[in-house]
Amino acid sequence: MRILPKHLLQAWVERLRVDHRVVAPRESHGQYIFDEITSADELVLDYHSSVLPPKKYFLPPREDLFTFNAKTMEMSPVIEEIQPTVIMALHTCDLHAIQLLDRIQGTGHVDQHYQARRRKTTLVSIECMEPCMAQAFCKSLGTLSVPEQFDVHLTDLGDRYAVDVGSDAGEALIRGMGFFWKPSDADYDRFNEVMAGKWPNFDYRLDCDVTDLPNLLGASHDSALWDEIGERCLSCGQCTKVCPTCYCFDVVDEIDLKLEKGKRVRVWDSCLLEKFAVVAGGHDFRNSRANRLRHRFMRKGKYQLEAYGLLGCVGCGRCALSCPAHITPIATLNTLNERRQASPGESA
Amino acid sequence: MKPKVAFFEFTSCEGCQLTVLDTLQRHPELLEVIEIVQFREAMSERGEDYQIAFIEGSCTRPSDEAKIREIREQAQIVVALGACAHLGGINAIRNRMPLEQTREYVYGDKKDWFETYPARPLSAVIEVDAVIPGCPIDRKEFATAVTHLLQGRKPAIPDYPLCIDCKLTENVCMFLRGQTCLGPVTRAGCEAICPAQGQGCEGCRGLIPSPNMHSIKQALREHGMTEDQIAAKLSLFLTYQTMQLEGVTPA
Ligand code: SF4
Ligand code: SF4
Ligand code: SF4
Ligand code: SF4
Ligand code: SF4
Repeated sequence: MRILPKHLLQAWVERLRVDHRVVAPRESHGQYIFDEITSADELVLDYHSSVLPPKKYFLPPREDLFTFNAKTMEMSPVIEEIQPTVIMALHTCDLHAIQLLDRIQGTGHVDQHYQARRRKTTLVSIECMEPCMAQAFCKSLGTLSVPEQFDVHLTDLGDRYAVDVGSDAGEALIRGMGFFWKPSDADYDRFNEVMAGKWPNFDYRLDCDVTDLPNLLGASHDSALWDEIGERCLSCGQCTKVCPTCYCFDVVDEIDLKLEKGKRVRVWDSCLLEKFAVVAGGHDFRNSRANRLRHRFMRKGKYQLEAYGLLGCVGCGRCALSCPAHITPIATLNTLNERRQASPGESA
Repeated sequence: MKPKVAFFEFTSCEGCQLTVLDTLQRHPELLEVIEIVQFREAMSERGEDYQIAFIEGSCTRPSDEAKIREIREQAQIVVALGACAHLGGINAIRNRMPLEQTREYVYGDKKDWFETYPARPLSAVIEVDAVIPGCPIDRKEFATAVTHLLQGRKPAIPDYPLCIDCKLTENVCMFLRGQTCLGPVTRAGCEAICPAQGQGCEGCRGLIPSPNMHSIKQALREHGMTEDQIAAKLSLFLTYQTMQLEGVTPA
């Protein structure tokens, strides 16, 4: 552990800005969005949640994959200049989500665009002391503390931050900078006090144990609840757009008016949209809102765990906050759990 | 050979054609790929041998029908340009009121001088090959539609809701700002310009293919709108479509 006195925070960030693009949360209409800062005094470390998760820096909502010439049939990859980037103030749930995305994008078909951006990015996270919003359930999902992989993690001790370093990339942001002090015994005591003090601020929101989720979902495949929430769902897709672990995309070709120069673009897609599962010939293998919602919950609570060893939901609550129909993971999972207990062995 | 293109208007404000003019000014290369033979807003010549017809405006009079059919006969491709042609537009607000009452309200004692009947989108009169939605249309979408036509494809417009555009540009949702929005049931494609400017969507691009009307009304209610306000919000651009969904015929 090291100590960063708060009055040196800005100087450190200004120093990081010399050779990095620094992004941090910025206030917008009562919410926050991650954006590049142009001066350290714009830095906000204290925020609740962001509209889009920081994954947008590795998987942009829209990105050009390659350009082509339809006359000469030539293709060239788009190689964008990727600036070394520091993302400030990530919360631990978002770190867990990035750990999952790293695993997904680095397994099988390795996504080079993701990898290239990810390699150039260092993450500075910060410990949450209070729930960010009523819809969050990180404590239940075990994402309220740092995952195995992290770079630099800050804990607010009042007039100073405790600084933990988890990687070489993180160490590179700290070493030789002169802003960091060695911790005293009093700092360790304060740190332990703060960490012990924060837990009671958070509730366990999920009525079953997180390790039970795959079983719960497996047993709930034919639950009537999917139809009930399907009735309310608008298929607006917001829940997937704001989710830090969603990564589905679509590819579209764009061409100029002379039908010569074009490019292939990839855009975030969403499994909640009506046409997502339509295949050639027009067959739609998830043709109702209920089916699509069930698929999404299965992905989050069961399939991802089976495929990648990590749960597909980190409990950030963004989907619940965004949903115009108030469809939330907590209410959905707890209702499934309740119904399972009421009629064990049968589909709820 | 450059395809010959003609523009026509029926009941509308000509704002979409103005947007086309503006697009032509910004993208003069458009004129290298198409030949415009008729465009009352921009030229006096009137060529009748066109392959592509862009039609602005809704059909609001019996006498519109013959002209619309004539265009259909001549053109290989008919494109509905903007909300009036696509949805009946603002003109269709009157479809929920008794026609006589509307005539009196608008024309007073001269009400018998003008022919009129409930406003309808082009597709209620003829088969339409493609639509460029919006009030007014989006410049980029118009240019993209032209490239699709040149490729021999049907211009593709998004079939998903505006919330997708809105979240891709990371707007803070109007509902979270204590306002209301029709984005969850409205067709995307305008880059959610209204929410980006701090206004809820009014639905000018029309409903998505399977809108959950019951749920959007509930969301509007929860955000403080009365039943009358909800009905008014859904009437601006969506009267024709919502009446169709409800199975109601114009009074
Ligand atoms: S499913 Fe919802 S709560 Fe879970 S990670 Fe995604 S947005 Fe957050
Ligand atoms: S969900 Fe938990 S870990 Fe994530 S931001 Fe909210 S309080 Fe922090
Ligand atoms: S945000 Fe809610 S209404 Fe929209 S698609 Fe997701 S669950 Fe359905
Ligand atoms: S502001 Fe409107 S379009 Fe944007 S996310 Fe909210 S409901 Fe959807
Ligand atoms: S946000 Fe809605 S009202 Fe505004 S231009 Fe787009 S579709 Fe039309």
